[in-house]
Amino acid sequence: MGQPIDSVGDQATPNPWLAEFQAILQGAAGGFLFGIPLLYTVEVWAIGEATSPRWLLLVLATTLVVVGLLTQVEGFRQTLTLQPLEVFLESIEAVAIGVVCATLALVLLRRITLDTPLAEGLGKVVFEAVPFALGVALARSTLQGNRGRDRRTTAPLSRRLVSPTLANLRDALVDFDAALIGAVLIAFSIAPTEEVPLLAAALPPLWLLLIMAASLGLSYAIVFASGFTDRTERRQRGLVFSPMTETLVAYLVALLASVTMLVLFQQLNPSDPWPEWLRDVLVLGLPASIGGAAGRILI
Amino acid sequence: MDLPNSSASSNSAPATSEASGRFAQRSAAEWLTFVVASVILLVLVGLILFDWQTNQNRPPAFAVAVSEAVRVTDGRYYVPFAITNTGGRIARMVQVTAELHSAGADDETGEQQIDFLSGHETKAGSFVFTHDPQGGDLVVRVASYRLP
Repeated sequence: MGQPIDSVGDQATPNPWLAEFQAILQGAAGGFLFGIPLLYTVEVWAIGEATSPRWLLLVLATTLVVVGLLTQVEGFRQTLTLQPLEVFLESIEAVAIGVVCATLALVLLRRITLDTPLAEGLGKVVFEAVPFALGVALARSTLQGNRGRDRRTTAPLSRRLVSPTLANLRDALVDFDAALIGAVLIAFSIAPTEEVPLLAAALPPLWLLLIMAASLGLSYAIVFASGFTDRTERRQRGLVFSPMTETLVAYLVALLASVTMLVLFQQLNPSDPWPEWLRDVLVLGLPASIGGAAGRILI
Repeated sequence: MDLPNSSASSNSAPATSEASGRFAQRSAAEWLTFVVASVILLVLVGLILFDWQTNQNRPPAFAVAVSEAVRVTDGRYYVPFAITNTGGRIARMVQVTAELHSAGADDETGEQQIDFLSGHETKAGSFVFTHDPQGGDLVVRVASYRLP
């Protein structure tokens, strides 16, 4: 199972308490980096204040799932090989760090004071904790540049995924994982704003096709045409899809992420007519697909 | 939950014991983090459930208190008021109106909209009149609100 600790550049065995403290600090730093934009977004406080407890629990659970996905490949500790159960534990820790950081920030900005009613404070903390927790789960790679570039590997739950025929597919999935991370990273601070329905409402019907074309074109251009990334390296990583197919699937991933974020922020309700869903999702899909393309290059 | 301590590997720190079990690399410090993290999250979930139980089935209700301490500046009368949501659920766009009927003068009205008023939350403000509210009939009431 490799070395006990895969920290880069440490000769002597580090004090585990110090290492853990550093990991938590690093997680908190990553949380603040990602959480600050949404902290200064008035819509998030408003949405948090007005949200029912049932929905808050759902948001927490969704956060835990997404943080779990991120922790499989990123995480805030230096460890590079993980058991599935450890992924779960680290996800819980990441969400808790996110909650603490979000609370501290909200108190610092006096969005939560001693006079704040419980329900209101809880809503703000839960919604602001989402970007903080995502930032914590991405801390290792965002804060360390090239040193943190190595991906984690998580021991597969079943042996079937190790077979060589499926290894390519796993690499492709990792690529879409990166697309998902990038899409969330960019679109998460846009999803709660009022600009999304505002822009969507002003679009003529056929204009949506133009938005879709622009999303696909930009995504394709960023990854493949701009030469940001080495094509041969991508081939070596075992891409099973052609560039066109990959762009299309990444766009679908971005749209799926957009729907999820809009629903979580209660921008879209089941009672809204479907054309509104379509418009809002496609409008948010543009920044999401650009983020997804960036994610596939950078992560 | 204990660390899997293998007696064979006594030279390295016990916290980083290299057991090939389900927790290959957990140190004591990491377990402490996990315990604290779980407690924080459980408290958060507990508070949410508590709020659900106590507040969510009580619709908004309002109590408006008008202060007697009227301030007079430059011939205008500032009447402080405080509105409290005595219900459990949050109300949006709470509209507070004030009407002052003074004998021998035109009626004066004031309006105030409060964006969010959570359960048990109190927000304060002032109405401004040109006539002395003490000499007239002042009615302050909540006219409307929206559910979130």
